[in-house]
Amino acid sequence: MERILLLVEETPGAGHVGDWAVRLCRRLSARLFALSVIPARPLLNARSPVLDAEEKAWRLLYEVEDAAFAENVPASLLLETGDPLQRLGELCRSYKIELIVVSTDSRVPALELIRRTPSPVVFVKPPKED
Amino acid sequence: MKSMDVNMTPSLAALLPRSAIILELAARTKEAVIQELVKPLVADGVVTNEADFIAAILRRENLESTGIGLGVAIPHARTNAAKSITLAFGRSDSGVDFASLDGKPSHIIFLIAAPENNKREYISVLARLSSLLRREEVRIGLNRARTADEVYAVLEQHDRPK
Repeated sequence: MERILLLVEETPGAGHVGDWAVRLCRRLSARLFALSVIPARPLLNARSPVLDAEEKAWRLLYEVEDAAFAENVPASLLLETGDPLQRLGELCRSYKIELIVVSTDSRVPALELIRRTPSPVVFVKPPKED
Repeated sequence: MKSMDVNMTPSLAALLPRSAIILELAARTKEAVIQELVKPLVADGVVTNEADFIAAILRRENLESTGIGLGVAIPHARTNAAKSITLAFGRSDSGVDFASLDGKPSHIIFLIAAPENNKREYISVLARLSSLLRREEVRIGLNRARTADEVYAVLEQHDRPK
């Protein structure tokens, strides 16, 4: 397996899932594609300007990149706009992604994700917060 | 370097020394561009060990692309060879191959030097810069800037320090 895509979202378990994906890539000598999808401009209200959403997304992506770099894992960062399921499907085909890593606390519905993306999906459960 | 409000994280303009604005890069390759952008940071004393810093930048470049597409590249390193978070800006009319995912050469290059122990601000600056440079009006402004003052003006117009 050479190409693994991590869906990066602002969720409580994002760091754990990112680290898990980085470790998996290291073990398999795979490249990590870290993808964050932000809503299209019309869906953002006035209190959530595009720039803020983008900046947050980039911050999460660079957190993943930093972790990947520390483990010597090649990582490509992708920031996309629109419907996450649609963009995931397109990018999986474009980059020949062999596995998608998603957190169980993802905002993307699990069944829809499995149905609509062309690659296998692994769900990673973040540790419980006590 | 521009002034900053002490209650905010620095603006991007505040992190960019005037000496590190190169409006027409002489170098044509990625490695040579990085060396050209690092020189003023060495002269300013921000980068204390040029060889170590360039090695850290190139280690990342050899592992992954820092070309974020749209003609922009942001080579960066967090290393003890840098004393404080500082930017260098270079522009290349002919473009430089940073192996961007979109396959296009980079014309706008921001290099980020950061000390090893300042991950939070380093990530924050990377995110702000990446976000800013996805905006077409910012890229157009930087491409058209004829002086360092005009580069500062573009950054100050669009950047929103927090």
